[in-house]
Amino acid sequence: MRPILLSGHERALTQVKYNKDGDIIFSVSKDHVVGAWFSYNGERLGTYHGHQGALWTVDVDPTTTFLATGGADNTMRLWNVQTGKLLKTWEFGSSIKRVEFSSDGSKLLGVTEKRTGHLSTIVVYDIVQDVDAEQTDEQSLRIVCDESKATVAGFSYGAKWIIAGHEDGSVSQYDVKGGELLDNVMVHEPDMPITDMQWAPDRTYFITASKDKTAKLISTKDLNVMKSYNTDTPLNSAAITPVKDYIILGGGQAAMDVTTTNARQGKFEARFYHKIFEEEIGRVRGHFGPLNYVAVHPLGTGYCSGGEDGYVRVHHFDKPYFDFMYEVEREQARM
Amino acid sequence: MTDWTLDDDDDALALPQSQITKNKDGTETIVTYRMEDGKKVKTTRRIKKTVVKQVVNPRVAERKHWTKFGAEKGKPAGPQSDTTSVAENIVFRPMANWKASAEDKTETEKKKLAMKDAKIKCRICSGDHWTTKCPFKDTMAPEGEPGGAELDEAVDATGGLGPSGSSYVPPHLRKGGAATGDRMGGRYERDDLATLRVTNVSEFAEEQDLRDMFSRFGHVTRVFLAKDRETGRAKGFAFVSFADRAEAAKACEKMDGYGYGHLILKVEFAKKSTT
Repeated sequence: MRPILLSGHERALTQVKYNKDGDIIFSVSKDHVVGAWFSYNGERLGTYHGHQGALWTVDVDPTTTFLATGGADNTMRLWNVQTGKLLKTWEFGSSIKRVEFSSDGSKLLGVTEKRTGHLSTIVVYDIVQDVDAEQTDEQSLRIVCDESKATVAGFSYGAKWIIAGHEDGSVSQYDVKGGELLDNVMVHEPDMPITDMQWAPDRTYFITASKDKTAKLISTKDLNVMKSYNTDTPLNSAAITPVKDYIILGGGQAAMDVTTTNARQGKFEARFYHKIFEEEIGRVRGHFGPLNYVAVHPLGTGYCSGGEDGYVRVHHFDKPYFDFMYEVEREQARM
Repeated sequence: MTDWTLDDDDDALALPQSQITKNKDGTETIVTYRMEDGKKVKTTRRIKKTVVKQVVNPRVAERKHWTKFGAEKGKPAGPQSDTTSVAENIVFRPMANWKASAEDKTETEKKKLAMKDAKIKCRICSGDHWTTKCPFKDTMAPEGEPGGAELDEAVDATGGLGPSGSSYVPPHLRKGGAATGDRMGGRYERDDLATLRVTNVSEFAEEQDLRDMFSRFGHVTRVFLAKDRETGRAKGFAFVSFADRAEAAKACEKMDGYGYGHLILKVEFAKKSTT
């Protein structure tokens, strides 16, 4: 497996995302620039310029027409993927920590940071499916998280609920229609922020990563913790692989703590766990800093990771990855 | 008639055409020229082209032909070397019961384990203790060599206290001394072939740390860390002996330049002691 190294960013990567067909990777970093890359050879398609602050988040709609980004300049922006043109800017009182499209691309949510005078909110906009049309300024939904600020959020299957992860280690389920809080479950250690949440392909369950060094597989419907993956390092990201039943976890000692810890291994590796058996099955090295985000190719043929070191590493899995099976799985396959 | 100054300039700037030659084994050799800091740079690349056909859905195919924008605007197709590169190969092989330590368990690693299990054997009496602890070390030579006792007899024949028998001979010059007090510097000195000299060691280093670091490469028979008598701190150099010279060579190669306690270790084979 020869990873492709994308070195177009000058500062730490914050999020990387594949589009639905998996041929383009979008990357955002603290250097204010959004990058678009072809996943098969690492060629850069282009960059999106306009943000005035560090970027925290990016998402692309299912048709690869619209790109949404959010950052520390208190704006959420919508771009034309093909041309790099800025289509719409929404301004807020605090920075945007997470954006996500619903699975049909008709809705876009943004999570705003908590700051003095501003509570953390989850806002939803309806997206007009036309690149030339004027996008609305009107929020179709606004959820205020007054208990603990939301760090991540996303739409469930059929855009039925909004699931949010919080700073205190809990996840909540909100009704998309009225925005009522339906359920709130403490899944991680109290006061250990949830750093990432990624969906299974059908969005019936999701995985959360937390600073408490664990990742949890949680069902969307009743917020039931189905599986738990324990590691020895704070986690920044967790992804579920299609095709094979694996989990990819990324993390590492935060940059500010590195000098105070044993430097031999900052544990800057992508860790692979078996989804069902909750057991670690391997690691992939390469980054010089913590992994801030891991994203899996929607067809399960590869993954990419964005690190604090400013690199995106794109990996295409080779044969041993697909061949690996537990003894029980092999028996199952034979029958 | 042309101006000679112009002509000269042209000569300096004109770069030879790039050449592409097809080789017999199906590879191509590409020679290109470019200017870098006012110097001509010739690049010769030998490449092998393989055509990989891939079927993708029409949406993906269409996107492949999108024109580049932003920072990439106007750049030719294909990955640009300033933003995209290929990293070194990574072996990724998922396995059950994976452990962090199991990651690079190689043959040498296994060998080391085998060495740990191996019984301690005295070189003198073949007992299960270290040679230095052998109760017979003053009376017997290591196996396979003439015994100390025989040596003494040979010396006795010419007179135990030197040639004349009357004049004083200092202990270290007495022939028989080799079998007793002077043993270490004598014939049975340590095997320096597998001993490494480690310098630039942190003054807070401990022998055990060094032993841990070096036993990764093989069976370490001895670690000596020079310490200051008064302060008890390390003086900055140490000797590490291995059972096997090959392991020592490996350790030497790997540990030279290794960062330990804010310092870069310098590791080399110890020179034969002068005594």
